[in-house]
Amino acid sequence: MHDSEPDTFTQISKREEFCGLLEKIGVQAEVKQIDSDEIEKGDYYSKQFTHSPAMVTNHGCVKLKNSNIDIVHIIQKG
Amino acid sequence: MSQDLEPQPWGAQDRFQAHFIVKTSQITNAEFLAKTKLKTEGHFAPKKVVGVQWVGGTIAETLNSDAELTSMIVKLPYKDAKIWIEPTRNGIRIHGSWKSSYEFRIDKELFAVYDKIASHVKSTLGFPPV
Repeated sequence: MHDSEPDTFTQISKREEFCGLLEKIGVQAEVKQIDSDEIEKGDYYSKQFTHSPAMVTNHGCVKLKNSNIDIVHIIQKG
Repeated sequence: MSQDLEPQPWGAQDRFQAHFIVKTSQITNAEFLAKTKLKTEGHFAPKKVVGVQWVGGTIAETLNSDAELTSMIVKLPYKDAKIWIEPTRNGIRIHGSWKSSYEFRIDKELFAVYDKIASHVKSTLGFPPV
Protein backbone atom coordinates (compact mmCIF):
# COMPACT_ATOMS: atom_id res chain seq x y z
CA MET A 1 0.00 0.00 0.00
CA HIS A 2 1.18 3.48 -0.87
CA ASP A 3 1.92 5.82 2.06
CA SER A 4 -0.57 8.42 0.83
CA GLU A 5 -3.48 5.96 0.88
CA PRO A 6 -5.64 6.14 3.99
CA ASP A 7 -5.94 3.03 6.22
CA THR A 8 -9.70 3.29 6.42
CA PHE A 9 -12.51 4.26 4.07
CA THR A 10 -16.21 4.97 4.37
CA GLN A 11 -18.40 2.72 2.25
CA ILE A 12 -21.06 4.83 0.55
CA SER A 13 -23.65 4.01 -2.08
CA LYS A 14 -23.49 5.34 -5.64
CA ARG A 15 -26.41 7.71 -5.03
CA GLU A 16 -24.76 9.12 -1.88
CA GLU A 17 -21.55 9.61 -3.86
CA PHE A 18 -23.44 11.36 -6.69
CA CYS A 19 -25.38 13.50 -4.18
CA GLY A 20 -22.04 14.64 -2.73
CA LEU A 21 -20.81 15.60 -6.22
CA LEU A 22 -23.98 17.63 -6.86
CA GLU A 23 -23.65 19.45 -3.54
CA LYS A 24 -20.03 20.21 -4.36
CA ILE A 25 -21.12 22.12 -7.50
CA GLY A 26 -23.78 24.04 -5.57
CA VAL A 27 -26.89 21.97 -6.33
CA GLN A 28 -29.21 21.30 -3.40
CA ALA A 29 -29.72 17.54 -3.34
CA GLU A 30 -31.09 14.91 -1.00
CA VAL A 31 -30.55 11.13 -1.10
CA LYS A 32 -33.74 9.07 -1.24
CA GLN A 33 -34.31 5.63 0.23
CA ILE A 34 -33.88 2.96 -2.44
CA ASP A 35 -37.12 1.75 -4.08
CA SER A 36 -39.08 4.63 -2.53
CA ASP A 37 -39.88 6.55 -5.71
CA GLU A 38 -42.38 5.77 -8.48
CA ILE A 39 -39.70 6.46 -11.07
CA GLU A 40 -37.80 3.30 -9.99
CA LYS A 41 -40.81 1.08 -10.66
CA GLY A 42 -41.57 1.82 -14.32
CA ASP A 43 -39.46 1.41 -17.46
CA TYR A 44 -36.05 3.08 -17.34
CA TYR A 45 -35.85 3.49 -21.15
CA SER A 46 -38.32 4.32 -23.91
CA LYS A 47 -36.87 1.33 -25.85
CA GLN A 48 -36.98 3.49 -28.98
CA PHE A 49 -33.20 3.79 -29.25
CA THR A 50 -31.26 0.73 -30.34
CA HIS A 51 -28.70 1.03 -27.51
CA SER A 52 -31.27 0.47 -24.69
CA PRO A 53 -29.85 -2.24 -22.39
CA ALA A 54 -31.83 -5.40 -21.68
CA MET A 55 -30.81 -5.56 -18.00
CA VAL A 56 -29.99 -2.80 -15.54
CA THR A 57 -29.42 -2.48 -11.78
CA ASN A 58 -31.25 0.24 -9.87
CA HIS A 59 -29.01 2.27 -7.54
CA GLY A 60 -31.76 4.60 -6.28
CA CYS A 61 -32.49 8.29 -6.64
CA VAL A 62 -31.33 11.73 -5.57
CA LYS A 63 -33.98 14.44 -5.22
CA LEU A 64 -33.04 17.93 -6.38
CA LYS A 65 -34.29 21.27 -5.08
CA ASN A 66 -34.53 24.61 -6.94
CA SER A 67 -33.83 22.94 -10.27
CA ASN A 68 -35.77 22.13 -13.45
CA ILE A 69 -34.72 18.51 -12.86
CA ASP A 70 -36.97 16.83 -10.30
CA ILE A 71 -34.93 13.73 -9.59
CA VAL A 72 -31.70 11.95 -10.62
CA HIS A 73 -31.87 8.16 -11.07
CA ILE A 74 -28.61 6.18 -10.85
CA ILE A 75 -28.46 3.05 -13.03
CA GLN A 76 -25.82 0.37 -13.61
CA LYS A 77 -25.62 -1.74 -16.76
CA GLY A 78 -26.26 -5.45 -16.31
CA MET B 1 -6.10 -22.47 -8.93
CA SER B 2 -6.90 -22.70 -12.65
CA GLN B 3 -8.31 -19.84 -14.69
CA ASP B 4 -11.97 -19.97 -15.67
CA LEU B 5 -11.89 -20.64 -19.42
CA GLU B 6 -15.55 -19.81 -19.90
CA PRO B 7 -16.29 -16.71 -17.83
CA GLN B 8 -20.00 -15.94 -17.49
CA PRO B 9 -21.00 -13.00 -19.75
CA TRP B 10 -23.73 -11.66 -17.43
CA GLY B 11 -23.75 -9.66 -14.24
CA ALA B 12 -23.52 -5.95 -13.42
CA GLN B 13 -20.82 -4.19 -15.42
CA ASP B 14 -18.66 -1.22 -14.47
CA ARG B 15 -20.92 1.09 -16.50
CA PHE B 16 -23.08 3.74 -14.86
CA GLN B 17 -25.62 6.31 -16.00
CA ALA B 18 -27.37 9.15 -14.20
CA HIS B 19 -30.83 9.92 -15.59
CA PHE B 20 -31.93 13.52 -14.99
CA ILE B 21 -35.71 13.29 -14.83
CA VAL B 22 -38.53 15.78 -15.25
CA LYS B 23 -41.51 14.07 -13.64
CA THR B 24 -44.87 14.13 -15.37
CA SER B 25 -48.09 12.17 -15.13
CA GLN B 26 -49.05 13.20 -18.66
CA ILE B 27 -48.89 10.52 -21.34
CA THR B 28 -45.88 11.48 -23.43
CA ASN B 29 -44.83 10.00 -26.72
CA ALA B 30 -42.25 10.36 -29.47
CA GLU B 31 -42.50 14.18 -29.41
CA PHE B 32 -40.11 14.04 -26.40
CA LEU B 33 -37.68 11.64 -28.05
CA ALA B 34 -34.40 13.27 -29.10
CA LYS B 35 -30.64 12.80 -29.30
CA THR B 36 -27.66 14.93 -30.24
CA LYS B 37 -25.93 14.48 -33.58
CA LEU B 38 -22.43 15.86 -33.21
CA LYS B 39 -20.12 17.49 -35.72
CA THR B 40 -16.55 16.86 -34.61
CA GLU B 41 -12.95 17.72 -35.45
CA GLY B 42 -9.88 15.58 -34.79
CA HIS B 43 -9.51 11.99 -33.68
CA PHE B 44 -8.92 10.04 -30.46
CA ALA B 45 -7.99 12.17 -27.39
CA PRO B 46 -8.06 15.64 -29.06
CA LYS B 47 -11.44 14.94 -30.72
CA LYS B 48 -13.69 17.93 -30.05
CA VAL B 49 -17.23 18.98 -30.74
CA VAL B 50 -17.67 21.84 -33.22
CA GLY B 51 -21.38 21.61 -33.92
CA VAL B 52 -24.55 20.10 -32.46
CA GLN B 53 -27.83 19.17 -34.02
CA TRP B 54 -30.78 17.63 -32.17
CA VAL B 55 -32.67 14.93 -34.03
CA GLY B 56 -36.00 13.43 -33.00
CA GLY B 57 -39.47 14.67 -32.15
CA THR B 58 -40.81 18.20 -31.75
CA ILE B 59 -38.60 18.82 -28.68
CA ALA B 60 -35.58 18.56 -31.03
CA GLU B 61 -36.80 21.63 -32.95
CA THR B 62 -37.11 23.61 -29.70
CA LEU B 63 -33.60 22.59 -28.61
CA ASN B 64 -32.13 23.40 -32.04
CA SER B 65 -33.51 26.93 -31.81
CA ASP B 66 -31.67 27.59 -28.51
CA ALA B 67 -28.28 29.02 -29.55
CA GLU B 68 -27.11 29.34 -25.92
CA LEU B 69 -27.67 25.61 -25.33
CA THR B 70 -25.72 24.78 -28.50
CA SER B 71 -22.77 26.91 -27.37
CA MET B 72 -22.86 25.21 -23.95
CA ILE B 73 -22.80 21.71 -25.49
CA VAL B 74 -19.95 22.60 -27.88
CA LYS B 75 -17.75 23.39 -24.85
CA LEU B 76 -18.32 19.92 -23.34
CA PRO B 77 -15.95 16.97 -23.88
CA TYR B 78 -17.02 14.71 -26.78
CA LYS B 79 -18.31 11.91 -24.53
CA ASP B 80 -20.43 14.30 -22.41
CA ALA B 81 -21.92 15.99 -25.49
CA LYS B 82 -23.73 12.79 -26.48
CA ILE B 83 -27.14 13.32 -24.85
CA TRP B 84 -30.42 11.44 -25.17
CA ILE B 85 -33.95 12.46 -24.16
CA GLU B 86 -36.40 9.62 -23.62
CA PRO B 87 -40.04 9.70 -22.51
CA THR B 88 -41.02 6.98 -20.02
CA ARG B 89 -44.20 6.30 -18.04
CA ASN B 90 -43.39 8.52 -15.04
CA GLY B 91 -41.20 11.19 -16.57
CA ILE B 92 -38.91 12.49 -19.29
CA ARG B 93 -35.37 11.16 -18.86
CA ILE B 94 -32.30 13.13 -19.99
CA HIS B 95 -29.06 11.13 -19.93
CA GLY B 96 -25.59 10.78 -21.36
CA SER B 97 -23.57 7.72 -22.38
CA TRP B 98 -22.41 4.91 -20.06
CA LYS B 99 -19.40 5.72 -17.90
CA SER B 100 -17.07 3.64 -15.76
CA SER B 101 -17.11 4.22 -11.99
CA TYR B 102 -13.90 6.25 -12.41
CA GLU B 103 -15.44 8.55 -15.09
CA PHE B 104 -18.88 8.72 -13.41
CA ARG B 105 -18.80 12.38 -12.33
CA ILE B 106 -20.79 15.56 -12.81
CA ASP B 107 -19.44 19.08 -13.15
CA LYS B 108 -21.05 22.52 -13.22
CA GLU B 109 -20.99 22.84 -17.03
CA LEU B 110 -22.58 19.44 -17.66
CA PHE B 111 -25.25 20.00 -15.02
CA ALA B 112 -26.07 23.43 -16.54
CA VAL B 113 -26.68 21.71 -19.91
CA TYR B 114 -29.02 19.10 -18.39
CA ASP B 115 -30.85 21.82 -16.42
CA LYS B 116 -31.33 23.91 -19.57
CA ILE B 117 -32.71 20.91 -21.49
CA ALA B 118 -35.03 20.18 -18.53
CA SER B 119 -36.30 23.78 -18.63
CA HIS B 120 -37.28 23.31 -22.31
CA VAL B 121 -38.96 19.98 -21.46
CA LYS B 122 -40.90 21.67 -18.63
CA SER B 123 -42.02 24.53 -20.87
CA THR B 124 -43.18 22.08 -23.54
CA LEU B 125 -45.12 20.14 -20.89
CA GLY B 126 -46.78 23.40 -19.84
CA PHE B 127 -45.01 23.79 -16.47
CA PRO B 128 -43.17 27.02 -15.61
CA PRO B 129 -39.36 26.50 -15.64
CA VAL B 130 -37.47 27.18 -12.36
